[in-house]
Amino acid sequence: MKTKFMLLVLCVGMIAAGVFAARTVHAQDAPKRIEVTAKRFTYEPAEITVKKGEPVVLVIKSADVAHGLRFRDLDLNAKIDKGGTAELKFTPDKTGDFVGHCSVFCGSGHGEMTLTLHVVN
Amino acid sequence: MVGLAGCKAAPPSKLESKTITFAKHHFFVGNKSQKNPLPDTHENWQDGKEAFSHYCVACHGMDGQNTGVPFVDHISPPIPSLASEDVQSYTDGQLKWILDNGIRPSGMPGSKGILSDDELWSIIVFLRHLPPAGSQGVPDIYTH
Repeated sequence: MKTKFMLLVLCVGMIAAGVFAARTVHAQDAPKRIEVTAKRFTYEPAEITVKKGEPVVLVIKSADVAHGLRFRDLDLNAKIDKGGTAELKFTPDKTGDFVGHCSVFCGSGHGEMTLTLHVVN
Repeated sequence: MVGLAGCKAAPPSKLESKTITFAKHHFFVGNKSQKNPLPDTHENWQDGKEAFSHYCVACHGMDGQNTGVPFVDHISPPIPSLASEDVQSYTDGQLKWILDNGIRPSGMPGSKGILSDDELWSIIVFLRHLPPAGSQGVPDIYTH
């Protein structure tokens, strides 16, 4: 009887440990979500700091016309429909400052519409 | 009447054209030594083609050779074919200078701030490998 009880406690403990470990891993892998609003001719916020190796999702919402966001150095590009939302998922693998530009022509200030991404250790 | 005739958009004489072209190449258009930071790749050519299609086609056509531009023969100085020797003999740096600043009084506007540096350099990649004249059709704005 005592042996059976010990086995039961062991099994419950292992299951609990497994669930806890899975949750911990899940929490570590969950990407950091950062909301960005794009509107003629700015991004809000215009600067973002993220950590190298930490998964990130930029949730970009257009407040007016169609826009884009392209980081040439990181090989990332998102296009956002008029009034719509797009997600840019990535895990930065190098540190530095990277300037993203609007990649969908949106008018007279299009060329100066930038978002700076700071990737730190 | 004489004054008004002086403003008429008549074609420039050969002497005027040659003089101005020489002056632009050798004195007025700067940035001769700057190199294009973008490599000459198909991807950059595609980027340049797209950027060109947003802003430049109204005067230069989809092919950079004025195809379908209705006023091309009615403006002075005339809009050059971007495939011409006059244009292609500019260095990449000079072409960037022209795209940034425009050329007075040709009507060519500056694009600094309207297009990003990346887009402007990619346009130069596109300009160096223009598609055959007429192969890209007529800009949408002239087909409605």
